[in-house]
Amino acid sequence: MIRADIVKLYKTVHTWTGITCGFALFIAFYAGALTMFQEPIARWASPPAVGVAAVPLDDAPRLLELVATAHPEAREEGIKLHLRGHENEPARVTWEEDEPHEAGQPHGHVHWWATLNPDGALLAKQEEPSELAEFINEIHMRVGIPSPWGSYFMGVVSLLYGVALIAGVIILLPSLVKDFLELRVGTNLKRMWLDAHNVVGITGLPFHIVMAITATALSLSGELWSVQESVVFGGKQEILDKRDNEQYQPPRPTGEAAAMMAPSQLLQKLKVQVPDFEPRFMIFKNIGDKAASVRVAGSERGYVGDYHLGGVMLSAVTGELLKDSTRPSRQDPDRRASETFYGLHAGQYEGATITWAYFFLGFSGAWLFYSGNLLWIETRRKNARKGGGVEQSRSTRLLGSATVGVCLGCVAGISLTIVAAKWLHGRVGDLNHWHELIYYVVFLGSVAWAFAWGAARSAVHLLWLCAAATMAIPLTTLAALLFPALGMWAYGSAATIGVDVVAFIGALCFAWMAVATQRRLTTGPADSIWSVRKADAATPPREPAAVPAE
Amino acid sequence: MPGDIRPDWWGKASAGAILGFGLALSLVGLYAYLGPGGINAPGGRYSLMRYLEAFVWIAVFGFCFLFRSGRSAWVWLGAANLIAFAALFACRFFFFA
Repeated sequence: MIRADIVKLYKTVHTWTGITCGFALFIAFYAGALTMFQEPIARWASPPAVGVAAVPLDDAPRLLELVATAHPEAREEGIKLHLRGHENEPARVTWEEDEPHEAGQPHGHVHWWATLNPDGALLAKQEEPSELAEFINEIHMRVGIPSPWGSYFMGVVSLLYGVALIAGVIILLPSLVKDFLELRVGTNLKRMWLDAHNVVGITGLPFHIVMAITATALSLSGELWSVQESVVFGGKQEILDKRDNEQYQPPRPTGEAAAMMAPSQLLQKLKVQVPDFEPRFMIFKNIGDKAASVRVAGSERGYVGDYHLGGVMLSAVTGELLKDSTRPSRQDPDRRASETFYGLHAGQYEGATITWAYFFLGFSGAWLFYSGNLLWIETRRKNARKGGGVEQSRSTRLLGSATVGVCLGCVAGISLTIVAAKWLHGRVGDLNHWHELIYYVVFLGSVAWAFAWGAARSAVHLLWLCAAATMAIPLTTLAALLFPALGMWAYGSAATIGVDVVAFIGALCFAWMAVATQRRLTTGPADSIWSVRKADAATPPREPAAVPAE
Repeated sequence: MPGDIRPDWWGKASAGAILGFGLALSLVGLYAYLGPGGINAPGGRYSLMRYLEAFVWIAVFGFCFLFRSGRSAWVWLGAANLIAFAALFACRFFFFA
């Protein structure tokens, strides 16, 4: 049995790590849950384009040849041939070129796509794709703080999150057998919230342990790399890394011309040689050369791991397997273990079931940090009350405002910036810049609003804002459908309709929370952070009557 | 039964953060030398090590509050660091130089 003084000690550890990291973790988990559907969101936000289907796979050889001739840089850098026909793939082939840049500045890239006109001529255009989905991932990784400071910050937060997990389990262990999965719904509202916090925390524990470890490693990746190199490897790490990267390097062009094998034939060759591989796209390099190659990215059935690192390389001339050690079943044990850690973080295994499970686990994590802050505030109030109603102390009021402003500001900001993808397309110059601008204005505005109005009132305002902003996602699609003159789009694919349906349900949840919070504002105990009534020592404190749901 | 545990928040937390990282780096560094294939093993070992380091770091930081005082945390974890780093540098500069 764990001694009482140890439990008491770890209660303090859990409280302080939780309070200091809760905000950042809420944002990381909420945005992280959305990144589980990064691709559907990207498809929803991508404007209509010529599309992959405009050029049948059988006509791809001609398209590739024309692009390679007209764009020598693409021929060298690699031309991407899309296979799936998703809305975020603007045409059958795309590629990137270096932006003209000044010395000392980092390299930028511009994006091109190409298709065949009905008369068989090449049509190539430079067009920047929507980066909305990547921006949500940015918020997930660095909570909106610019790189690299956001990564350092989240590395420390993730480390403390791990400490908070250990502390939380130590606190819970003595009563675990007795209380486990016991949700005491009743008049003692704080007890119920604590039970719920414990149940959600302990049932999600494996997920949280994985997230704490992998998030610490991924956020501090570059720093750990440098320290390892100087302390452990002494320069050898870079050599190993180069050797590792060999597997991704295409063969050098020979200068000798050769006929290319058609992509459809290459895919057949691939299927024969690697039956369990599911190709996503193909990248051709040095087309027309005898040493031309194609890297096929994809996943392998039955393996956990990153789709982008795994792949095979074929000769684009003969279809022979050139390099085959980066796909999951051929990776060395250390790489496989490392990729498994990454796959466990990103939920890249077992298909849709795990994607949805991670989506809900992400939300449950966000809720854990929110409810943790709330429990701390309510405990403080209880300690201070001693029989009579009390004024909320300054620190609990500020923490309450910050919790409401940061959490709901993040939710509303993300929803509105998603909506902007359709409304602002074609109306502003740099839409990707506008996505950032909108998010930060809404986020910071919400935080300011929460401090100006206090946690209780602002929670209702901001929850209605979240509901309205999220409802605007399906309404925008509906408007696009009803009023084509607006110049927006609505797709019929299950993935993009799914975005609208999930947003619709989410908006209803936010509206329900707004109503519940409004009710508690007026009927709950006056000394609660959730009340707008002045605390009055004459009124005996009661337990709140309604559930404060954000 | 040992005596009371003193909180010593800053003493223990600093030991957990600093010496926890040292222990993570040195123990996982030993894996790089003594694991299958040794230090020249090809592949993704250096990549895997970052996850292992995060694991050890979190574990040491998380459990370091069990030490009786900040001083004993620094003494014990410091000693563990000395031994682990001595072993690591022996591997790097002597056994596998």
